[in-house]
This record gives sequence, C-alpha cells and structure tokens, in this order.
Amino acid sequence: MNSRERVLKLFKGEEIDRVPCFSGMGNVTETGINKLGYKFAGIHLDAKQMADTAASTYKMFGFECGVVPVDLCVEAEALGCVINVYPHAEGILYPTIKEKLIHNEDEMEVKIPADLARRGRVPLLKEAIKHLKADIGNEVAIGSYVLGPFTLAGQIMELNDLLKLSFKKADKVAKLLDVMADAIILVAKEFEKAGADYITVREMGATTDVLSPRVFKSLILPPLKKVISEIKINSVLHICGKTNDIVTSMMEAGPTAISVEQKNDVAETRKKLGKDALIFGNYDPYNVLVSGDENLVRSTMRKCIDDGVSAVWPGCDIWPTVPPQNMVAMLDEIKKHGGKK
Amino acid sequence: MADEARKKEILEKLKNAVIQYDEDACKEGAQEALDAGLDANEAIFDGLVAGMEEVGRLFEAQEYFVPEILMCADALYAGLDILKPHCQQMDLGVKGSVVIGTVEGDVHDIGKNLVKMMFDVAGFTVYDLGRDVPLDQFVDEQLRTDSELVCLSAMMTTSMIGMPKVIDKIKAKNPNCMIMIGGAPTSKELADKWGADGYAEDASNALKEAIKMVSFLKKLRDEKAGKK
Repeated sequence: MNSRERVLKLFKGEEIDRVPCFSGMGNVTETGINKLGYKFAGIHLDAKQMADTAASTYKMFGFECGVVPVDLCVEAEALGCVINVYPHAEGILYPTIKEKLIHNEDEMEVKIPADLARRGRVPLLKEAIKHLKADIGNEVAIGSYVLGPFTLAGQIMELNDLLKLSFKKADKVAKLLDVMADAIILVAKEFEKAGADYITVREMGATTDVLSPRVFKSLILPPLKKVISEIKINSVLHICGKTNDIVTSMMEAGPTAISVEQKNDVAETRKKLGKDALIFGNYDPYNVLVSGDENLVRSTMRKCIDDGVSAVWPGCDIWPTVPPQNMVAMLDEIKKHGGKK
Repeated sequence: MADEARKKEILEKLKNAVIQYDEDACKEGAQEALDAGLDANEAIFDGLVAGMEEVGRLFEAQEYFVPEILMCADALYAGLDILKPHCQQMDLGVKGSVVIGTVEGDVHDIGKNLVKMMFDVAGFTVYDLGRDVPLDQFVDEQLRTDSELVCLSAMMTTSMIGMPKVIDKIKAKNPNCMIMIGGAPTSKELADKWGADGYAEDASNALKEAIKMVSFLKKLRDEKAGKK
C-alpha cells in the first residue's frame, strides 16, 4: 500500500495498514527550499517552484501528501485585495493582505467578479496542482485548501469590524458570508478541476476562543455547510483553537473529515463522534515539530495515535524551519506505532 | 464636590456602561462625572477600569467572547476621551512609556489594541507602531523614546518567529527594558526561552498581563527609590 492508496482509502473509510502522516495545510520546509535553490518569497508567484517545493516534503521525508498553496491570500487576492509577499525579507514571512476590499460597513455589499477563476493567482494555483499531480501524483494524494467564509471575510475587511458586526448586525454579516461562500466554491471547483484529491476548508478565524458556540452555529455554520456541500471531492474542515464544544457542529457541516489542533482533546472528541468519524490532528507544528527535540516529537506522535486520530496531521501549517531530524523522527514513529490498534 | 451617593451612582453607571458596551451611556456618565466635580482619574479607574475588569471575568467565564470585548473597549474609549483631558497630573502609580506593535508578517491587531487600551488608561505614553511592523523599527523606536516597555504581538505562528530577534537586539542595547510578547501562538516557555519578561496568549490574558506588568514596574521603581 503506497501513501496515495493509504490516504484515499482512509477517506473512503476502508481498511488501511496504519494511520497516515500527512496534512491539508502548508508543509514546505526550508530544507526543501534550499535544496531546490529557491527563495520563500518567490515560491508563491511561480507555479513550478511552488509545486517543486511542495513535492520536496514528500521526496525528502516521505510526508504523505503534496499540498499547494503555501499562503492564505489566494481567494482575497482574486477578489481584489492587494497582497504583500515581502520580496526582500531575509527570513520567512508569509504573504499578507496589504489593501483590503471593504473599508467600512457601507461597502459590505460586495459582488464576486465574473472572472474570479481567472483572477489573481487562481490560474497559477491550477498550474501548480497539475505540476504536483504529474510529479508525485501516483505516489501521494494531492491536496489543496481554501479559506472558510468567515476567515475570508476577515481578510477582505477589518477583523475588528467584522467581529463587532457579527454581534451588532448579524444579518449583514450573514449576507457577506454567503457571498464569500460563493467565491470560495468557485475557487475550490477550479482546484478540483486541476486534479486535487482533497480540499481542506480552513475556517481558522472562527474559533471558539473568539466566537461563542452559539454564534458559530447561527452565523458560521450555514455558509460553511454551503461550501462543503459543493466540494465533490474529499473535504476536510479545519478549525483552530479549543474546538471540543463544536466538533459535532463541525461534522454537521458535512466534510469527509475534520481537522483539529493541539488545544482539542482528541480522546474526548473520539468518544463524542464515535469510531468511524475521520478526525485528523493534532500535534503542535511549532512547539513540538520545530522547537521540540526528537523525543518530544516521538512521544507526541504516539499520543496522537493513542488518543485516536484517524491520521496524524498538524494543527496548522508546518513552519518551514522544521529541523530535518524531527521530520524523520515523526515519520519513523508513525510507521512504527501507527499500525497498532 | 459630589456627595457620596451621587458619586457612587456615577461610577456605577460608567462601570455598567462598559460592561453593557453602551457607548452613549458611557459618554453620558463621563460628562456627569465632570459636571458633578468627580476626580477624572477616579472616574477612569473606579468606573471604566472596574467595568473592564468585570468584562475580563465574563470572558473567562465564557459568557463574553471577543466581539463583546471589542464593543466594551469602544465604550471605555468613549468615556476615556471625555475624561482624559481633565485628568490631574496626579500619580497614577506608574508613569512611563511603551512601544507597542504587531510584528512584520502579521496584520492582526486586536490583542495589541486591547493591551494598548490598558496602557492608555494607566496614563502611559503609548508609541503605537501599528501592525506588520518591520523588526528593526521596534528597536529604533525603543531607543528613540527610551521606553521602559516594549510589547510585541503576533497572532499567527507564521509571524511570531521574528520576536526573538527583536528581543535580543533590544536587550543588547538596553538590558533594563522590559519586553512583553503576546498572541495566540506564544507561550510561557517561548517567552522564557526568548528572554521576554511577560507573555499573554489571548486578549483577556493580555489585559491581565498588562496590568501585572504595570504593577511590577511600579514595584521596581519603588525599590530603586528606596535604595536612594
């Protein structure tokens, strides 16, 4: 069973030999980037470089997937925001939004550009997915990701305003989120067409650290459901933070799998959702994988498996400065320990 | 001078206006405080700040979430704007200046703004560098203003990595400067490892940490004064 078969069978709910070790979020490494002779700021703007870098995490460490993009600004940019890739940064800085689309409450009635699929880096991403597919698509599953409606809204307008309006003028925000859902669906369809095997929906801004479970259900869940119901390939819903109170709602949104981070008590989540639910998680990709030592990496992987994850998967993007020996230790431990029931 | 009952009533009004995120009531309360001859500092601390403390408690109890806190902060500022010009140059406990900002690569500033608010009410001079701030700018601004405190905020794991560089540079040039880091991905361990003096993982903790740091600074100064 190769990695691709393992992951695709997992999504189908079929028997596999051990839990896979993969991600639906960014997982490029500095080791990979340096080996290829690229620069971090450049890989966001070049389909081949992006795909090569994404593939290197599999090629060098056996990480069981290939995922593009690397940053979180694809949809916002296609909608008309201006991004900053920090071309002159010495270290690693992820692109951010420089210029928002909505500047005040009166501008919230945005329209989706008719040619959204051809704007910004959407075409570049399709290219990157095709490259990735041609390069390692027979060996691993190819993933891509989109933002959730609330997270995207928080990029095209001030998060501060969005949060307050979620309370004061929930209907106005609901309307905006519905438009965001439509835009996200358009982008996700393009990634599907390009050949992605699974899409992760990253609703990272809507954590229960920020919003109440009540607001999550009334405001966040409906557009999220809409997005997920339109994704025809495998979908994974990722939400950051303390998600124990909303895992049932997350499942209700209808994804193939849910993804939770280290603040989620997975043993409890497993109990709540039953043995067949696909739960991906939940190691801390910075404090364990980057700044931890090999022992911490190994014990954390064992704990994820023992708590009952369906796939060992990071709580967020893997930070590129991850030490190579920790990547090796992670994969090794999962291969050793991941087949035990 | 206001009588005690009236004073209590006004302070209560300010406190509740903050808790109930009622900007108009907060403005009214602030004006009433001035009209009744209340000390502006007292109105700020025993009215507005008392309200914010309760908001912090409600957040911890998960009755309030971030949207509510932001609205409470708006209400507090509505009152503060009216009261501040009437503050006597009295000793608020600590005086000082602080450089604050969100590190380069991060455009989230909610936590940063809440901490800034605490320094505003405490009478600090706040040099707010905003968000997505190049690292060297923190170092330069600290040197330029000789601030005793620098607060670095990052919401994303992907942007907090710049923090240790800033901490090293500032501490190398000015070992006495205190540094507070904050934001979802930070931790006590990271703060210790990077040589920061304080940390706060979320908005409510940031509020508490800011208050703690302010009192700690006060203690330091008192000790220094005691030695003289």
